[in-house]
Amino acid sequence: MILLAIIVVLMFFLKSPVLQPFSNNLQSSSIALGFIMVFGFLFGKKLSWFKLPQITGFIIAGVLCGPYVLKFLSVTDVKNLQIIDGLALGLIALTAGGGMRMKKLKGSFKTISAVVFFQTFIILAGFVVFSFVGRAFFPEMILFQNVAASILLGTLATATSPSTTIAIITECKSRGKYTDFILSTAVVKDFFVIILFAFSIAISKSLISPFKSFDFGFIGKTLRDVGGSAVIGIIIGGGIILYLKFIKKDITLFILSIAFFTYQISRSYEYHPLLICLMAGFIVQNLSSQGESLILAIEKISVPVYVVFFAISGASVNLGVLKTTWLLALICVVWRGVLKFFGTFTGAKFAKDDPGIQKYSWAGFISQAGVALGMAIVIENVFPEWGGEFKAFVLAIIAINQIIGPILLQKLLIKVGEAGKRELNSG
Amino acid sequence: MQAIYAFGILILISFLGARFVFRRKNIFSPLNYFFSSGLIYIFLGLYLGKHGLNILSVQVLEGLTPLISLGLGWIGFLFGFQLERKYLRKFPSNYIALSFFQSLFVFFLVFVVVFSALKPFFASYSVFLLYGMAVTLGLLASMNSPALLNAASSKIPEKGNYYYLARFLASISAFWGIVGLAFISSFWHFPFFESKVFENGLLFLLISTAFPFILGYFFHFLTLKKTSEQDLLVYILGLVFFVSGAAFYFNLPTLYVCMVMGITYSNLTKIHEEIYPLFLVTEKPLYIVLLVLIGALWDFNISYEVAILVALLFVVRIIGFVFPLRLFQKILNFSFPLPAVFGLCFLSYGGIGVAFAVSIKLAYPLVLTDVFLSSALIVIILSEILGPWALKLSIFPLDSEKKI
Repeated sequence: MILLAIIVVLMFFLKSPVLQPFSNNLQSSSIALGFIMVFGFLFGKKLSWFKLPQITGFIIAGVLCGPYVLKFLSVTDVKNLQIIDGLALGLIALTAGGGMRMKKLKGSFKTISAVVFFQTFIILAGFVVFSFVGRAFFPEMILFQNVAASILLGTLATATSPSTTIAIITECKSRGKYTDFILSTAVVKDFFVIILFAFSIAISKSLISPFKSFDFGFIGKTLRDVGGSAVIGIIIGGGIILYLKFIKKDITLFILSIAFFTYQISRSYEYHPLLICLMAGFIVQNLSSQGESLILAIEKISVPVYVVFFAISGASVNLGVLKTTWLLALICVVWRGVLKFFGTFTGAKFAKDDPGIQKYSWAGFISQAGVALGMAIVIENVFPEWGGEFKAFVLAIIAINQIIGPILLQKLLIKVGEAGKRELNSG
Repeated sequence: MQAIYAFGILILISFLGARFVFRRKNIFSPLNYFFSSGLIYIFLGLYLGKHGLNILSVQVLEGLTPLISLGLGWIGFLFGFQLERKYLRKFPSNYIALSFFQSLFVFFLVFVVVFSALKPFFASYSVFLLYGMAVTLGLLASMNSPALLNAASSKIPEKGNYYYLARFLASISAFWGIVGLAFISSFWHFPFFESKVFENGLLFLLISTAFPFILGYFFHFLTLKKTSEQDLLVYILGLVFFVSGAAFYFNLPTLYVCMVMGITYSNLTKIHEEIYPLFLVTEKPLYIVLLVLIGALWDFNISYEVAILVALLFVVRIIGFVFPLRLFQKILNFSFPLPAVFGLCFLSYGGIGVAFAVSIKLAYPLVLTDVFLSSALIVIILSEILGPWALKLSIFPLDSEKKI
């Protein structure tokens, strides 16, 4: 705590009016980056004392230091430092793909697919219904725009954070049926959410422009984008396998380059960078023996990248927007929880899995982080007119989910008696 | 968007560079060391910059400032981290004294000669600026690096006192130059003070020293308990970014500020063995990125004045390293002779020289600074090309003839 206080005091001193005449505000990005990396990381560590995931700490640290609270980071700093987004999202998707092991998926395939289907269907339907209620909050939007935003929100609401799930399972040293089911479902669901997201974006694009007629060509385009992304992901995955097998040197740097370039270039050509990286990770994990090398290489460098990524995401939360939407955000969180319960319950019942899975496992799907955040950033880029506000709103939902999600998962694992059943070295 | 692509290109270049260029083949064959030292990346940067493809345009370079700041800070921190009291104490005190007097002599010699030469060439500039340029060139000339000696280590069959003395001197000589840089940056602080020059200069010197000193302690406290490799990487990257960023923010000397943090931390911590592997992983890629960015920053200029300056710098520096050695041997009571030819092994500037040159360029955005950078980079490149040959002439015969 003292160290946190020291670095904050130092930053206050450096940004104090006494030294302002000697400073060059055009050169503030580096100091902001260094500060947020150290402060965010320490803050995340402190928060883990309260059984909360570090990611939550990074986000809160970003909010605190951002342009609306302590003002250590200016709006320009935040914009300049978003250069790290592509890198972080590429790494997150590669990790998620690398976490999907076919052997584990086969065992509970029926329940996983049923839960994924019903969760997705019920949540999407629930949020479209919700859009009619939500109209009161956005009276300036026409109905189609409202439905489009709800489809996107529903898609985001479906997502669960595999990285948080893995982190909590590791922390709880958990092993057993529930643990495997929740982890596998979270990863598989992410895969489908990304595909679903591609469709949702295409549908929303058509709905959002009131002067354009409904464009049926979007289906072909979406299939091309999704199919193309999958093929590119397979090719990149193959490339990674060859590199890890035959060259083996400077693996971390190689993975960094792959994550960064894949994200940036595919985005420029309207492919789905998250899907490409997810597919690449999946291919490496399941078609070669190099899965562990890939995950290890990412783990080596990912922490500083994630700290900055999540903290900058926190700093970019427009608190002005949040002030006006917090009530709706809270309602969305509760509504999502209710839909998650019904989706999981129906899916598990349909697959005739045991009553415990039907009743309690929904609590494992609440946390949200990287992928949902990544999708919110994509929405911000695709719909620049309102994407910023939408992202701020989604970030509020993610932040709340990220605080309650890990706690719920932890309680669930303790309740079903799987916590503390094994020593895990890593996720 | 262009900055993002540029960032990506830099990652790829650094990856390929770390993979293919830094290989130690025959270090003494012509141009081989120039390639293996990575300086070729300055030319790649030049080609990618405004004089070539303009991918690393002025605008893009502004967006990539954090990377330049990190690169300079990393070099400063790494250099400072090696200055551990425990290590320095292993050597006789006259080794340190020799390093100091050698640097001081070269500095004064180059300063006097360069200042005399600058006056007729740049008559329209104020004497104040010409003094500044002569001082910075003098400081640059006084620096050298052990990189060449390390690279040639396996090729030197008979390693004796001369090799170890040369390595020691080359390892610490940059310290004097960087301290000099701190004084210049504080008292010649840009934009130049109109009043209270001394008071403000002292204030900047104090901040440049106290701030990284505090953060060195801060870093030490962070790593007092057992720290994982991942946590260490976050702390080092974060603190170097923070300190070098603060230096950029207040136009303080990045190399000095990060060196002080490195020295402070190195003399407090006991986990050197855990830190060095992290340096090994990150050093090469960061260095390549920095060299490419320096190349892109370089306003390439080979004018008549630059050519004269380069020739003067090159010759006077060699004279400064070669001729006073016998005198220093007597004054400092060396137990073995220091023949003039021994001075030839200090030709190489290494990365620290390049970092010093670009620090000046970034701290003083003046027309004259472009002349400085061109002269400095050309003389560094020339020295790196001829350095191995000079090393072969000096250490080989000395250590094989007289092993003490």
